[in-house]
Amino acid sequence: MITVPGDLSRLLNGLGLIAVDTLLVIAFVDQLWFRDLPCPICILQRAGFVAAGFGIALNLLFGPRPSHYGMTILGAAVGAAIAMRQILLHIVPDSGSYGNAVFGMHLYTWAFIGFVLMIIGSAVLQLDDRQFARSEPWSNRLDVLPLTALVTFIVLAVGNIFSTLLLCGAGFCPEAPTGYLI
Amino acid sequence: MMSLPFLLFACGLGAAWLSQRGAAMGFWVAGLVVLLVLFRAHFGDALNIAL
Repeated sequence: MITVPGDLSRLLNGLGLIAVDTLLVIAFVDQLWFRDLPCPICILQRAGFVAAGFGIALNLLFGPRPSHYGMTILGAAVGAAIAMRQILLHIVPDSGSYGNAVFGMHLYTWAFIGFVLMIIGSAVLQLDDRQFARSEPWSNRLDVLPLTALVTFIVLAVGNIFSTLLLCGAGFCPEAPTGYLI
Repeated sequence: MMSLPFLLFACGLGAAWLSQRGAAMGFWVAGLVVLLVLFRAHFGDALNIAL
């Protein structure tokens, strides 16, 4: 039962991190199930989601702070810039696209929308000052939803280390990868 | 090289899990800087189109 603004903030942060987890899982499904290997800029967009989700994870572990929301906004801004770069690469008619379309749009377009929603969501969540008054460390009472979101997020971040190593080795990735290097 | 941002963010998450907030934020800043450097390196990736 939600009783105080802090609990509502925790719930919304937990749901936000689950949304980030979902996007990273969809990227993995597209890579592993549909054999749609990510390009270098696509990998950087995934890193952008991890950078943005980092702030939400800190909100769940240490309680909400403006600096954590700032981290989410900065990470999402970097990710949005990367996604926009890829959209612009393909904006010229007949210049093709990269990867599979999902519900009519490519993953980099969905990524841009996701980053913008994260920026707006973080800004809106920051408007409630009452959440910042709590002094009790939140990590002492992590319940199922935030704990699941957090553990999944960590697993996905670590999974991306291995995935990228397999795809690119120790150096830079090929512009249009056709297989795993390792 | 491309996995470095993920590695730094994962280290940051590990530090956060161990209640080391300052270290976590340090890893996050390092990861974001590396991410920007890698973006700069790939910013000029050519688009292969036949005109």
